[in-house]
Amino acid sequence: MYQYNAFDQRFVEERVEQYRDQTRRFLAGELTDDQFQQLRLRNGLYIQRLAPMLRIAVPYGLLTATQLRKLAAITRDYDKGYGHLSTRQNVQINWPELEAVPDILAELATVQMHCIQTSGSCIRNITTDQFAGVAADETVDPRPYCEIMRQWSTYHPEFDWLPRKFKIAVNAAEADRAATQVHDIGIRIRPGEDGAPVFDFLVGGGLGRTPVIGSVIREGLPEQHLLTYLEAILRVYNRYGRRDNKYKARIKILVRAMTPAKFRVKVDDEWALLKDGPSTLPAHEIERIKGCFAPPPYAALKDATAALAKDRLADPAFNTWMRNNVAPHKRPGYAIVTLSTKATGVPPGDVTDEQMEAVADWSERFGFGDVRISHEQNFVLPDVPQLRLRQLFRLACQQGLGQANAGLLTDMICCPGGDFCALANAKSIPVAEAIQRRFDDYDYQHDLGPIDLNISGCMNACGHHHVGNIGVLGVDKRGAEFYQISIGGNQADEASIGRILGPSFQRADVPDVIEKILGVYVDRRFEGEPFVQTVRRIGVDPFKERVYAKEAAVAG
Amino acid sequence: MLVRDGRIAEDDWRLALDGDAAPGLIASLEAWRRAPDGAGVWVDGDAEADEIGEEIAAAPVVAVRFPAFADGRGLSFGSLLRTRYGFTGELRAFGEIIPDLAEYMHRCGFNAFELPDRRQAEITIACIARMSDHYQASVREPAPPFQDPVRRRDAQQDGAPH
Repeated sequence: MYQYNAFDQRFVEERVEQYRDQTRRFLAGELTDDQFQQLRLRNGLYIQRLAPMLRIAVPYGLLTATQLRKLAAITRDYDKGYGHLSTRQNVQINWPELEAVPDILAELATVQMHCIQTSGSCIRNITTDQFAGVAADETVDPRPYCEIMRQWSTYHPEFDWLPRKFKIAVNAAEADRAATQVHDIGIRIRPGEDGAPVFDFLVGGGLGRTPVIGSVIREGLPEQHLLTYLEAILRVYNRYGRRDNKYKARIKILVRAMTPAKFRVKVDDEWALLKDGPSTLPAHEIERIKGCFAPPPYAALKDATAALAKDRLADPAFNTWMRNNVAPHKRPGYAIVTLSTKATGVPPGDVTDEQMEAVADWSERFGFGDVRISHEQNFVLPDVPQLRLRQLFRLACQQGLGQANAGLLTDMICCPGGDFCALANAKSIPVAEAIQRRFDDYDYQHDLGPIDLNISGCMNACGHHHVGNIGVLGVDKRGAEFYQISIGGNQADEASIGRILGPSFQRADVPDVIEKILGVYVDRRFEGEPFVQTVRRIGVDPFKERVYAKEAAVAG
Repeated sequence: MLVRDGRIAEDDWRLALDGDAAPGLIASLEAWRRAPDGAGVWVDGDAEADEIGEEIAAAPVVAVRFPAFADGRGLSFGSLLRTRYGFTGELRAFGEIIPDLAEYMHRCGFNAFELPDRRQAEITIACIARMSDHYQASVREPAPPFQDPVRRRDAQQDGAPH
């Protein structure tokens, strides 16, 4: 974990006072609603349907046990005793008082946390692989670079008032667990020819109204140039991105209008003038940050395959959980555990204060006090000794965090939707729940294999529906809530945007539609072929035919 | 009300959005080109620094109009004018400005701000001074902390909350 030094600590403390002053001026009538909106959004505060919503930054999804306990206390003291894990690896609370937000910030600052730039037209929380630093398939640890970029993007003098929000994702493993192809900037880090890390840049990916897969504009950039190259991209975007229409203001629209080739030339021209300038990273700075992410004091363990096999045989539920929720670690004898929040009847990503405290405790008992939040809205414990997995599983089950569905159908991504969000066209949480109830048999889900089902309550696509293998989008039809279904999206390697099946459905029909889609897959798949591959091979027509066959309730 | 170099100041310039340039006036680019002697020039925040930067760097005052308070194009323009075209005169922000944005403008090289009234001007002065340091290089701080031995040393201590 990155540890704040005196500079970082003073920064967040001054930020608390700055925001306290902004809130005071707003309440005193010295800032208009529109003016304060821009300021509060840059502090993650939305005014929602029922109450304000505060988004707390969890940089690249990393938390300490101490920080998680503080979040639990904040949800208890200032909210209703629960929080929400977001798809940007942040934590949201849904019921804070606007007047109390400065005090919440002050509490956060005591544990090296803040809400800076968690919303607004600025560089948002940088996301990465939730297994960063421990994944068996990792080639470079991306976390130090995420921290370097976090610092660089915090109150950047020139790039905090962009045409639109700006999202950066970083991946450095063989599997892309950070969805780098659908971000404003996707960065892939890999070892270069001499072994030193180099950076590949994709730009102009994104979801929202116009889903686009990003284009590669630079490969093999050496690490010292990371910030100057980012500045070149951001400067081109800040100057030329559209500001006349918020739906055309993301960088993807600019890249497409210019063409990726011309955008690249523009960036290269700008970079030629910035390269080797003051933002060039000195080796001592990279080393300083890397030092914060040195491996914890791992014990010299051996893989416990035989003992685990015995436990798995004795306990089928544990076996299912092991298969779905436990990932290989780069150290022998350790494992990475995903604690799924996707229990039937609980909104995806919602966790209580008690659950947060339990996870904090487990992170210390079964690890080194580190916790991750995944963009799939789950907790991850990164350093669990294999021999203690069964004990952790039992405890997790008691806390409602033992669902064995990581990566499966009911491990859905879901935005807060119309129950909370002022932007939503339709509710999303009840749809998630209806699907969970229909398909809560883990054996059936396991037979289906990995399926990402993503639900968004509106075109803003916070639930990433475009890149769900199955995507559900809430739409408004003459004041009524309907749901459009797409299939074939994919967020990881070979990212793709899903194709819409056809006319939208009423909420009550969505589980039936999903069941029919899965029926076509089960009938047509080759052995071992994942859902998304079958869709790619046979196309959407067979699915359309089954879904819209005579009795389907079509909304028109 | 004008804030200049961190203080409320008498405005010895007059903004002329239209009309001819003359000494003491801040005129449009076209007007200024016809009669640059003793005149300042105003431009919109989306002006192309690469096209006009060299030319207007000779003016005593460049005023940049911010069409909306959340429009950051003028920040890039100011930064480029100072760092790439060596402008050393007064760089002034006018238009839709709220005090909180002056912090960013100041770091991008603006040293003068037109605010609607004295109260806003006073808040602006406080806003500019509120954060004692930042992470990046800027026009004000040409080196980021990691390039500056003194700030690096000061930052070495642990970040215990105060």
